[in-house]
Amino acid sequence: MEESVESVRVIVIDDEEGMREGMRRALQRQGYGVDTAEDGESALRLLRENSYSLALVDLKMPGIDGFEVTRFINENLQGTVVVIVSALATVEAAVEVTRHGAFDFLAKPFTPKDLLHVVERALRQHSLLSDRQQYLTELNSERNLSRQLINSMHEGVIVLNRNRLPVLMNPTAEAFVGKAYREGMSVEELGLRPEVLAAVQEVLDGGKARTLREPLGQRMMELLSLPYLRGEEKVGAILILNDITLQWQADQEKSRFIAMVAHELKSPLAAILNYVNIILTGMFDQEPAKIHEMLARSKIRGEALLDLIRDLLYLNQREAGKIEKSPERLELKEVLAAQLDFFKVQAERSRIRLQLEAAGDSFPVLADRKDLDRIFMNLISNGIKYNREDGSLTVRLASSNGSVRVQVSDTGIGMKAEEMEGLFQDFYRVKNPQTSGIPGTGLGLATVKRVTAECQGDIRVDSVPDRGTTFTVTLPRA
Amino acid sequence: MPKVLIVDDDKDLLVGQKAFLEKRGYQVETASSAGEGLKRLESFTPDLILADLMMEHYDTGFVFCKKVKDDPRMAAVPIIMQTSAPKELGFTLEAYNERARKWMKVDEILTKPVPLEDLVGKIEQHLAR
Repeated sequence: MEESVESVRVIVIDDEEGMREGMRRALQRQGYGVDTAEDGESALRLLRENSYSLALVDLKMPGIDGFEVTRFINENLQGTVVVIVSALATVEAAVEVTRHGAFDFLAKPFTPKDLLHVVERALRQHSLLSDRQQYLTELNSERNLSRQLINSMHEGVIVLNRNRLPVLMNPTAEAFVGKAYREGMSVEELGLRPEVLAAVQEVLDGGKARTLREPLGQRMMELLSLPYLRGEEKVGAILILNDITLQWQADQEKSRFIAMVAHELKSPLAAILNYVNIILTGMFDQEPAKIHEMLARSKIRGEALLDLIRDLLYLNQREAGKIEKSPERLELKEVLAAQLDFFKVQAERSRIRLQLEAAGDSFPVLADRKDLDRIFMNLISNGIKYNREDGSLTVRLASSNGSVRVQVSDTGIGMKAEEMEGLFQDFYRVKNPQTSGIPGTGLGLATVKRVTAECQGDIRVDSVPDRGTTFTVTLPRA
Repeated sequence: MPKVLIVDDDKDLLVGQKAFLEKRGYQVETASSAGEGLKRLESFTPDLILADLMMEHYDTGFVFCKKVKDDPRMAAVPIIMQTSAPKELGFTLEAYNERARKWMKVDEILTKPVPLEDLVGKIEQHLAR
């Protein structure tokens, strides 16, 4: 950074007036701004108040001498270059003053040309100094920036030195390991899995960067281990931690769901194929009633399988947001009456009495008709399937504070408290000897719960083993 | 007449396999849950057990097998497990892992649907041991 001569200010410190004024004139002629001081005290005052590129300092002064002024400048004013002006023109003296931090030495007596030569050289030094100062300032702020960036990262960062000691941890990493960084802490304190420590060691031993997926506390992490390089030299390892818990959980959930689907699809097929294969062996050719029974069961299982596939496709469409909804003002009493009518034949087959009791005339709701069918047809169907012969299924309608309540009660096998846990989960089915012959997809109630929630409604269940079950659905009144 | 106990929560599978195995000369008892199976074993000592895996819970079959094999009276009875759970998805991966199988003490795992001749073949193979 070159400075124009006008912006350069020089201070001349000398107790000899002739010398002082001589230097001032020579420098002013060149256009430098010049201040003078006749002793150390006034020099320090001026130095504190103004900013100088160069100080020409006489070594021998009464009171505060040139050495002290030089020291003051070096300790406090890094932008000022010092040139010693002295009659002590010996090599030793020159070495001594530079040791005190002066840049150059001008021996008395000197010509104006000598003076200007030394001043120019010193000012070149000043210019270099200010460049360096600038560079250091920038470097420092860059370091601040890097640190800020690292500290605000969503990923955890842990830096380990060659001896595997943590030397830096950003706040995210501290949160992940559940420990604040402390100088001298060991890597073992971080609770990382042995696999992660092995990957770090591998990097320290000259191996490549590696990515691994390991749990850390309650979280699932994706960890990247990298060599920490200073130039070409490896000085440690960097560990980047990415919290992938949510994604991992979603993957797990999806895998589980697909496994369940596969299981639920295979079970009825296994039963059907088993019957068909038995029939094909011909071992029951003389017992047509047995064959008929096996075929009838195969038909039921096949139909249930078809229902399951329909439910799955429906769920899939629903989750993909592909189900068009057209909410309308509907009279729930009429909807339920129509639904009960639909199940009349099926109920009569098991001699189950269907009844609708309404405490009032009107139960309007704002909903999509298909949603209402999905909710209540499922519940009515269950109430028939899990009922006993000669039992009954009652649908009760009531309204209270802005909502409509529908209770679907059966007189069937009921459920124990532990059997009701998970009742609204996908593929959950109460499994006991009483339910083992009843076909079901395990998706019905899970779907009912979803649809009810989408209708701003709520569902709950009460049950007494061998007495019956009541589902209560509450929907906002239109 | 070799005696077989089938434990499966799929009623149709029980009915079908029982009918088939009886025609093949086995004496067959059935149970539709692990609890029912254990109860049946109190009075009935089979030569072989066919057990489902996913019943009340996804691993009920394993728990059932362990209980059976821990009973000194039953320790030597071979158990063949039949399941529809897909091993590809890792859902029952533990069942296919040698170390876990030692703990589970299941002698054979067959994937449903099990062809009838395979079923008979495996039963005979284990009874011959």
